[in-house]
Amino acid sequence: MDTAPSNPLPPCPVGPDSLIAIKRQQTNPARWNGANWAAFAVALRAAEVELLESLAACGAFATDAGGTAYGMPHGVVIARDARQISNLLKTAQEHGVPVTVRGGGLTTEGESVAFGGVLLDMTGMSRVKSIDAAALTVRTECGIFWHSLAEELRREGLDYLSAPLNLTSTVGGSLNVGGIDVNSPRLGCSADQAVALQVVTPTGDIVECSETERADLFQRVILGYGQFGVITEATLKVRRYTPLRMHYFYYSSLRTAVEDLQILDRNDASDYSGILTIMDSAVNLLVAFDSDEREAAFNAKWRARLRGHGEFGFALRAIPRYALRPWKWPEALYLWQRKRQLFPEFRRPEYLRDGLMHDRTVVFSRAVWKFWGSRQMVIPDLATSAEKFIKAVERGNAVCRKYFPYYTLYCVGIKLRGDHKPHYEMSCIPPDATGWAYGCEFEPVMDRVYSRDHLQSFKNEIYDIGVNLGASYYRFGGMMKGYIRRALGDEVVDRHLAMKRKADPAMILNRDVIF
Amino acid sequence: MMPAAQRADFAACSGCSLCLLVCPAWRRTRDLRDTPHGRAKALQHGVAVVELKESIESCTLCGACEPVCPENIDLVGMLLELRRQLPPMILTRNITTNMQAERPRENVTLSASTPALVAGGMYFGRPALLARIKTLLGSARGITVANDNGADIALALEIGATVPPQRIERFLAPLRAHKTIVLTDGLLLRQVRAWLPEARVAGLGEALGALAPLRRQLRAGDLYVIDPRAYHADHERLVTHYDGLRAETGCTLNLDLQRIAIPATARSLRQRLGADAIDDAPQLRWLLQGRTIARIVVESESDRFAIGQLCTLPVVHLAELADDPSSPEGKQS
Ligand SMILES: Cc1cc2nc3c(=O)[nH]c(=O)nc-3n(C[C@H](O)[C@H](O)[C@H](O)COP(=O)(O)OP(=O)(O)OC[C@H]3O[C@@H](n4cnc5c(N)ncnc54)[C@H](O)[C@@H]3O)c2cc1C
Ligand code: SF4
Ligand code: SF4
Repeated sequence: MDTAPSNPLPPCPVGPDSLIAIKRQQTNPARWNGANWAAFAVALRAAEVELLESLAACGAFATDAGGTAYGMPHGVVIARDARQISNLLKTAQEHGVPVTVRGGGLTTEGESVAFGGVLLDMTGMSRVKSIDAAALTVRTECGIFWHSLAEELRREGLDYLSAPLNLTSTVGGSLNVGGIDVNSPRLGCSADQAVALQVVTPTGDIVECSETERADLFQRVILGYGQFGVITEATLKVRRYTPLRMHYFYYSSLRTAVEDLQILDRNDASDYSGILTIMDSAVNLLVAFDSDEREAAFNAKWRARLRGHGEFGFALRAIPRYALRPWKWPEALYLWQRKRQLFPEFRRPEYLRDGLMHDRTVVFSRAVWKFWGSRQMVIPDLATSAEKFIKAVERGNAVCRKYFPYYTLYCVGIKLRGDHKPHYEMSCIPPDATGWAYGCEFEPVMDRVYSRDHLQSFKNEIYDIGVNLGASYYRFGGMMKGYIRRALGDEVVDRHLAMKRKADPAMILNRDVIF
Repeated sequence: MMPAAQRADFAACSGCSLCLLVCPAWRRTRDLRDTPHGRAKALQHGVAVVELKESIESCTLCGACEPVCPENIDLVGMLLELRRQLPPMILTRNITTNMQAERPRENVTLSASTPALVAGGMYFGRPALLARIKTLLGSARGITVANDNGADIALALEIGATVPPQRIERFLAPLRAHKTIVLTDGLLLRQVRAWLPEARVAGLGEALGALAPLRRQLRAGDLYVIDPRAYHADHERLVTHYDGLRAETGCTLNLDLQRIAIPATARSLRQRLGADAIDDAPQLRWLLQGRTIARIVVESESDRFAIGQLCTLPVVHLAELADDPSSPEGKQS
């Protein structure tokens, strides 16, 4: 049974029924006071590290994709190689200057925003070092965008395994936070694809690590939110490129769709699966395959068991449902308009050849930015075990309905690797998940300008569900710090804090994300 | 594409970084400041235009960033405007003065139903190629080659010089008689389309590529190099045109996974003006990397020249395809 913890605080004046049990945090951490900056800048330049202090350089990194957390670095370093980063971290340790690492900056809680100190822009290190087509691995610098990596791999007929469905997250950023794709129910998250890493530790040592070499460091750095080192290079597993055979099934019930999603995942019935909704009224379960054989096996065994409908069948069922409820006509109109905008985007002829979808990440990412992107993006999420997932989605959905007229849910499973349990500790993978973890993102459509308080209250209410259910989160950082401790418990956070203090004596690297 | 006036400006930039993925200037420096993202964010923070000089001059004006920008920002227009706001170079002042003095040059117009061809200076330097283009494009009704090719206007746009309205009018006056105008310069094309919205304005590549005899010469093993400026200026429509070309002929296009054209060269303004040394090799290497090709077919004469300098593969202008001895029909003739 769920029990809401008692609230020690007076009700929030903006969202009186939110912030349950969670002390209201500052959205932005306080800005670092700049002590020693001038001496640091001199020392850094003496170490031959270029430091940019102009407004043009610093201003570009004032916020992240979320656009709600604002900071301003004192200076920017564009990553060029491990040696330069090593010099930066050594000098920063000496002078106690915080360094915030940024990949694509697609965080939404300010994790990649520097609230003073140095912003290390990893995209300066974005070259592929080598591709081994026989061993199916690639060695790459870690500031590379997944899409740029895909461009290089495709010239060799290869593709990465799994990566976020957006083009501008970087390999390094994703190895730190997870990296979930619609093939993660089968292949796991991006962080699980790393075979070996080059890491610059917070004290400036340049080291190689893997399951067999400095395994402790490897385990901490993977899914480590940049606490235990800067990932400069990675060897990743890759695969042969294949276009997709896509199928869409439409549901009017979230619960039924989630149940069907989990049936498919448990039975390895598809190569890709995920749920994308228009509110909770049109729930789309997408299922896709890498080969005709896998598609045929699905058609023979699983297709008829799914309770969703094709586009036409869904429309036929929706008409009487709305016809009898005139107060729901605005919602029906929105669904219809949204469908008219969205569907052609997923069927653009240049990506759909002979019934196969090519370059899925381009198709999805374009749609994500076109239809959900804006200068403010609020995407709180919940990550739970398979068993708790439906409850988390339904409760989160109710919160979305309360705060916004229009929103989208994105749900996907993550296959877990038994041997990676140490990697998962204190990450988006909830401690009680076995086999699969499930994530749901709750993304309001910004149909108008919402106040920061409105957005913050919404996020708090979603995150409260996590505390209440014993879940985890994909997004750490900023005001999430309080939640991490509550959701994951003092013991684990304190143990990691002790390790962090040892590895990073001046606590300079990626402050304010977890600790 | 939506008219520039209706499109967003830098204030709308969300910082999504999608423009970086396609930007050859970023590929060269891996420095966010040299991208639309970097410039837009700097301007949002009130940075003075003159402080962005290096960034503004690093842009190749390939136009690749515009179709991928989800905020629909007029990125090329914005860049041209920023160049106009920079303190003028000597060249900028001279060109404006010269344009004011420019005398009208009448075209010998065959008839309104003939297309007009506005060919850049390079084509006049290769009379055989120009003659071939005229024959191909004018086969049905003849073609009018514009006496005034607007080269000074194209240069003025590129360097940020103000083009006097009278000069624009003198350039456009003879073109107004034509329903179809074909241009070899992608930057000028973009402007002519805005200035003459009633006319059908096409790039040379699109116009030639629509001709069946030329399409028949394309084959698997060809790398077809689309002229980026013309293509990105009308991406939404042309992406279908070129996808059809690929499907029909089996040729490989210089498109990336987002169907954005990878330029053969990525020259900054200073390189174009000869102030900095040109180094086309890294960009060309990226264009060719991992591709098995036997021949390169280009839409733009300047690409033919640049690629030919560095590459041992045969490089053929699209208009010359039928004359290429390695073409099936070329061999017969
Ligand atoms: C529109 C949108 C869609 C999204 N879709 C998905 C999706 O489908 N799947 C998914 O998994 N996520 C998704 N996300 C979340 C986002 O993709 C992840 O946060 C992303 O993987 C992070 O990558 P990044 O390069 O942007 O990292 P950043 O946001 O720059 O950084 C993430 C964290 O890692 C640290 N860091 C970055 N690089 C390094 C490095 N090299 N070494 C050490 N620390 C580093 C940063 O300090 C920060 O704490 C989406 C986000 C948005 C805004
Ligand atoms: S026009 Fe080309 S070079 Fe200039 S910013 Fe856009 S993509 Fe980059
Ligand atoms: S693509 Fe457009 S919105 Fe995105 S960063 Fe570039 S200019 Fe800004």
